[in-house]
Amino acid sequence: MIMMNLELLFKTAKARGISDVQVFLSDRSELSIEVFDGELDKYEISASSSMTIRGVYNGKMGTFVTEVFDDEILPQIVDSIIGSAKIIDALEDAIIYAGDKEYAKLEGLFDETLKNQDVAEKIQNVKKLDKAMHEADPKVTTVETMYSETTRRILLQNTKGLRLENVVNSAMIGGSAIVKDEHDQRTAFDLIISNDPKDLDVGPLADKIVRDAVSALGAKPIPTGAYEIVFKPEALQTLLSAFQGVFSAEAVHKNMSLLKGKLGTVIGSPLFTLVDDPFMKKSSRSRSFDDEGVATKYKALIDKGELKTYLYNLVTAKKDGVVSTGNGFGGSIGPVNLKVLPGETRYEDMLASVRNGILVKDVQGAHAGANPVSGDFSLQASGFVVKDGVIGAPVALITVAGNIIQMMKDVVAVADDLKTGYFGITSPSVKIKSMAVSGI
Amino acid sequence: MLLKKVLIEKTIATGLQTGADFAEVFIEDTTTENIQLIGGRVEKANSQKIFGVGIRLALGLQSVYGYTNSKNPEEILKLASDLSKSFSNDKRTAAIPLGEPDVGSHHKARINPRTVSRSRKVELMRSAYAAAKEYDPVIVQVAVNLGDVVQNVLVANSEGRFAADERVRVRIYVNAIAGKDGVMQTGGEGPGAAKGYEYFFDELDIAEIARDAARAAKTMLFADECPSGVMPVIINNEFGGVIFHEACGHSLEATSVAKNASVFCGKLGQQIASPIVTAIDDGTIENGWGSANFDDEGYPQKRRVLIDKGILKTYMVDKLNGRRMNHAPTGSSRRESYKYAPTSRMSNTFIANGTSTFDEIIAATEYGLFAAKMGGGSVNPGNGDFNFAVSEGYLVRNGKIAEPVRGASLVGNGAKILWNIDMIANNLERARGMCGSSSGSIPADVGQPTLRVSQITVGGKKGAK
Repeated sequence: MIMMNLELLFKTAKARGISDVQVFLSDRSELSIEVFDGELDKYEISASSSMTIRGVYNGKMGTFVTEVFDDEILPQIVDSIIGSAKIIDALEDAIIYAGDKEYAKLEGLFDETLKNQDVAEKIQNVKKLDKAMHEADPKVTTVETMYSETTRRILLQNTKGLRLENVVNSAMIGGSAIVKDEHDQRTAFDLIISNDPKDLDVGPLADKIVRDAVSALGAKPIPTGAYEIVFKPEALQTLLSAFQGVFSAEAVHKNMSLLKGKLGTVIGSPLFTLVDDPFMKKSSRSRSFDDEGVATKYKALIDKGELKTYLYNLVTAKKDGVVSTGNGFGGSIGPVNLKVLPGETRYEDMLASVRNGILVKDVQGAHAGANPVSGDFSLQASGFVVKDGVIGAPVALITVAGNIIQMMKDVVAVADDLKTGYFGITSPSVKIKSMAVSGI
Repeated sequence: MLLKKVLIEKTIATGLQTGADFAEVFIEDTTTENIQLIGGRVEKANSQKIFGVGIRLALGLQSVYGYTNSKNPEEILKLASDLSKSFSNDKRTAAIPLGEPDVGSHHKARINPRTVSRSRKVELMRSAYAAAKEYDPVIVQVAVNLGDVVQNVLVANSEGRFAADERVRVRIYVNAIAGKDGVMQTGGEGPGAAKGYEYFFDELDIAEIARDAARAAKTMLFADECPSGVMPVIINNEFGGVIFHEACGHSLEATSVAKNASVFCGKLGQQIASPIVTAIDDGTIENGWGSANFDDEGYPQKRRVLIDKGILKTYMVDKLNGRRMNHAPTGSSRRESYKYAPTSRMSNTFIANGTSTFDEIIAATEYGLFAAKMGGGSVNPGNGDFNFAVSEGYLVRNGKIAEPVRGASLVGNGAKILWNIDMIANNLERARGMCGSSSGSIPADVGQPTLRVSQITVGGKKGAK
């Protein structure tokens, strides 16, 4: 671990009129492996550190981020903090936090077995996935597989005497396949994220990826119209990830969130409950404190359709006269682990209830096709036709459009098939009463 | 120099010690400054110092990469040594000694961002804020972000290549929000250049840019929902070029071509587009947003004609994918930072001028969508399916631009859309974008003249017309 002389930094800063200083150090080591056509194609190792130094000068917060840690950088850090604080004229004063009485004790964030597993074994596991995918179906033409592993240690220390540390590791194994028949070419991708090597079981993963790709062969657009929609967890998570910023109290205060003025009102169906769970096991995002040193909390954002709270950091909480929810991350505000609570409907029953609908397995383009300010979205989607409860032909190149609030209100069933996906969001499948679909 | 030549040579030699046939060292020293102004007040300001060393080794088709932000020679050599353990080959490749580095002479910045005071930067931002806010009472919020980057890189490899480059970039984003009766819509502009602050002081009309963002937000506030269905779409110039970038450009990068994961594999010399389509990727445009003197493997950036009158002329190829494809590198290798191994990427990519005029295209369209401004999009290179968002759209009726519509997205297939371009205007303009892919997020220009696609699926909330 690279260590700067923090005592000297704190002393120098105080001498120059910076009232309080906080450093946030992130040490990260990574390993990544890619296999192509049975051979090790890429192998990467790295170690890097980054330190964010925040200092309060005349009540305003200056920030400097550095990847250089020798003492010679100290004057530049101090100059830069003062220089940036001087131009800030935000109404609210900056806060450096003295700490909470208690922080949750999180278990299972760092797995020794993963750390100690031999690299050769990890490479072997990716090769096994590659082989299994190639062998799963003769229509498979191209396979790419990858593994990545990250260990991250963070250290927060400030001049108010707070010192907090957290170490997590996590691994991801995944693959993508291209399948072809005489008429069509399709792809599929999936992955497993966990820090427990036992969870990284490549056999079922290979089968699922290839099955997803093959079942999409021949996918076509369907006629434009209104359809019942069942979002699989992955599709719902992609959609939610595009809108998670609307819960930020900062966005609300700045007139940039569609949830402004909606606290305590109904913004979703009574079946829909969305929580932020910072203590989730096996999530590399889980934390007992946020980047401001505030203890994190489990809370419902939407409880049975009702908007219960925004997400707060120290400054926005002070403004609203509440306590921080422990969601100050990276100088901004965000959730830790968003989770849609599962319902009581069996996934099979949910599908069986669809008369004229689409099972949406995947949505694309959320970074551009979803507007977090207006709540409107229109996204490329793919999946299957569902007619009278039976899954039919594959569908692609359609769009599903709506408004996130209307969609949450139109949730008519929540399934029991909870899954954690790529965006660190956990959810089951949900059924929406009706949405606008564009096809042919 | 960012790192002593003798240490670089020693690192390369260490990398080759177990039989790798190629070794490369990439050293980066970058400073950035970002300021955020919301509602007329400076809310955030921060500066950043980035330093790191990336080492890449290859033997045949196999490559290894590692990075560190240590400046300590022992740690850098240890990384090279650790990486070299991936190979065991009896045949040794000797490194060609390094001379003096080639130094880039183009894309110079006249006013270095580090010489401009923060308060002067804030003045620029306030002028943007005021222009957008005063545009109309429905503008309820304006956010302005200003960012600048000074990136110094040094690349050396075992083939004697040695190059140094300074990349200076500045960019301003203006986001206006229009609101009424609980409905909010946005409009944004984000001009930038591979230049210094002369771009803001002498060239760009910041107030005009800001008013344009406000105008788009207001127009969309009063727009109806876009109808859905298949129809002709006229895609405007400038950022409209994102269509080619997403739908075709990514599938012409060796990253997907080398692994047989692109719809354009094996199509060199073949007709892949309508004969009126010529497309170019040019990393040499003076001070272009995606330009550089050298690519991130240290080779000169180039101008590449990708498609000439519908015929596929070249892919964009980096060194290692070039080995797999048996194709010479095209100076296209780029990366966000030392934290990424480089790979083939676009630079400034655009469709060349056609022979129609803007007015002729509108007049020739009985019914369709005019996508005046595009948002971003994405593509699946494996089958070419793409999507992108229309941030400002209008319906075209009887050869005239009619009412504005909002919430539209376009979906289609890259290989097919190239054949469906049936009119191209003569008003080529480029616009700035950030492109994300396997070697990180990099600045890339997109561009085109206004053009028409004879049919494409338009998705909106309103349902069929």
